[in-house]
Amino acid sequence: MDYYRFRVVKDRLAQFLVYLALFLALVPLFSILYEVVMRGFSAINIEFFIKPTPTVGEVGGGIANAIQGTLITIGLASLIGVPVGLMSGIFLSEYGESKLSTVIRFLQDVLSGIPSIVIGVFTYTLITRSIGFSVIAAAFALAVIMIPIVTRTTEEALKLVPMSVREAAIALGIPRWKTTITVVLSSAKKAIVTGILLSIARIAGESAPVLVSMGFWRWWFAGLNRPVANLALNVFIFAMSPFENWVTLAWGSALVLILLVLGISIVARVLTRGRY
Amino acid sequence: MSRIIDTGLRDLSAILYRMGGLAHHAVLKATIECIEGKEAHEEIREMADMLVAMADHVEDKAFELIARFQPVASDLRTIKSYMKIAYDFARFGRYALDISSINKQVGGLKGCEEWINSYVKEMSEKTLEMVKLSIESLKSHNIQIAEKISEKEKEVDRMYFEFLDELIKCGTTIKCAVSSVLIVRYLERIADHVTYICESIIYIATGQKKILR
Amino acid sequence: MVVKFDVQNLNAWFGSKHVLKNINMKIEENAVTAIIGPSGCGKTTFIRCLNRMHEITPGARVSGKVIFNGVNIYDNGVDPVMVRRKIGMIFQKPNPFPMMSIYDNVAIGLKLNGVRDKKILDAAVRRSLELVNLWDEVKDDLKKSGASLSGGQQQRLCIARALVVEPEVLLMDEPCSALDPIATAKIEALIRELARNYTIIIVTHNMQQAARVSDYTAFLYFGELVEYGPTEQIFENPKHELTEKYLTGKFG
Repeated sequence: MDYYRFRVVKDRLAQFLVYLALFLALVPLFSILYEVVMRGFSAINIEFFIKPTPTVGEVGGGIANAIQGTLITIGLASLIGVPVGLMSGIFLSEYGESKLSTVIRFLQDVLSGIPSIVIGVFTYTLITRSIGFSVIAAAFALAVIMIPIVTRTTEEALKLVPMSVREAAIALGIPRWKTTITVVLSSAKKAIVTGILLSIARIAGESAPVLVSMGFWRWWFAGLNRPVANLALNVFIFAMSPFENWVTLAWGSALVLILLVLGISIVARVLTRGRY
Repeated sequence: MSRIIDTGLRDLSAILYRMGGLAHHAVLKATIECIEGKEAHEEIREMADMLVAMADHVEDKAFELIARFQPVASDLRTIKSYMKIAYDFARFGRYALDISSINKQVGGLKGCEEWINSYVKEMSEKTLEMVKLSIESLKSHNIQIAEKISEKEKEVDRMYFEFLDELIKCGTTIKCAVSSVLIVRYLERIADHVTYICESIIYIATGQKKILR
Repeated sequence: MVVKFDVQNLNAWFGSKHVLKNINMKIEENAVTAIIGPSGCGKTTFIRCLNRMHEITPGARVSGKVIFNGVNIYDNGVDPVMVRRKIGMIFQKPNPFPMMSIYDNVAIGLKLNGVRDKKILDAAVRRSLELVNLWDEVKDDLKKSGASLSGGQQQRLCIARALVVEPEVLLMDEPCSALDPIATAKIEALIRELARNYTIIIVTHNMQQAARVSDYTAFLYFGELVEYGPTEQIFENPKHELTEKYLTGKFG
């Protein structure tokens, strides 16, 4: 009987420790959310979403141009990153039995581990030096960050499609490439889309590579070879400025960013709740 | 390797061997009865009835094996043949009873010429030998023995027709003629059925439907 | 016998493992041929050689000839995709395309071959589903997911899918082994029906199924063809001792 009671005590203790750890893990999350919502909320008004960044000394202002800029940047980055990542993922999964694919996989893993600032600097050297601080450069940097993520999630998603599905399609007399595009991809659709969405959420929040390859911009979109405003970067720049309204805008931007990432994650979750 | 169906097949063949022994005994008793004039009709009737019941039992058991085990190849041939052989053994019992009836109704070979008696004795010995050999062949599924029996059957046939010729030539009392012809006829039929049994044994072993007659 | 497949000296390897050894066999048209044998003896490999599926496995190799409709399908100029259109395959575990409706599952063979006309597709889907006796069961809800059907229905769906591209041959790899007895009986009856118009080759490890369903039976033992003949003859009076031993379960 004693031994039993001892076990009960151990069990309770372990439970307590686990809950404590959970609490400790959640504290930072909730405190961040709390701070951002509290401080950022006051910044939210109509002006916030319509007006561009205020100049030094100007009162009020908004982050409309940052929203525009961020959308353009991540849109451009996706245009480059998604097809490349998707096709690499397809290659590795469907045609990847060779030595070449082992090498590629390894390189992708290395790439995904490179700090984003390093990628920013690389982009600076390669593109910014020749074209100048520009959206193209920022998009390129973000695409490079995006590619290994999309590749890996695509490959994993495709690997989950059972071999029997491919065999059934091949046995029907459908050429290999068609089976990949129609049957295999559509079976893995949800997981792939989720992977892409999550990679977009990731790059939406990158500030260091954007800073180095594009720099800060206060105005509306002015051409692909010029920089453009960026939400994440704004948080960085504004938070450390001496202007009251800029700091407020920083909090607002942070809030918008968090909501954006949260929104994308929720959409991804909803999509995967389906049949697969 | 022991299979589920083996127990069933063993049971089936055990019944068959008992039937063989019983059939042999019945025919022996019947022919002795006629030749030496001993009374044994009731006993022989019992044996004949028992053989019929056993044949039914074999048939039932065979169908049970087929329904339960879906036998194929040699197992299937074995079961099919066992049913036929059981029927043949039951026929022996029937013929034994018929021979015994001759004794009972007509008086058998009592008082008949020596040569008739000795012919019948010789034929019955040959026939009984064939029955014994067939049982042996069945036990071991030995087709050499089975094929040898066909020679003996030809002998019995030969003796049968010889006897008929002799009888026509020499003549005898009507009672002796009727009794002896009937007895000899039944013996010849028994010999025929022994060859059917052997054909079935060859079928089990080789799958060939050889005709030995 | 009208010969549909003339298999000559067929050998197959997985890497260095010699899986099929010198198979010579003539398979009759519009009849059911069963391939039986112990596990791992090459039955599945054999039928996969008949529709050139064996070679998609990395390291797999084939030698010999398979003459189908007068042409050796392993000749240099022959397109494996065209071969597979004429020779359909049904797998052990029913594998309807996930995420696709019943209608789409059946129609996909035609859609991917360029057929766009809805009327033609509708008619073809209906015909296929009727052929496998599934039409009445699913006609009210063709948009339902293929995976929502029972195992037996799924397998019939896969057969319908294979039939829609109008093959001449159906290869079946243990099609009933994942199904319950009633579903199995339905598929076996279907096989006999289809055999009037299609050549069917079925791999099975269930001897009784081979006995019930086939006209010819081939016994494969560790890559070698031991015996091949009409089913009644094989099951009543096999010529080879090995066949006899396998059929009566006398293997160790």
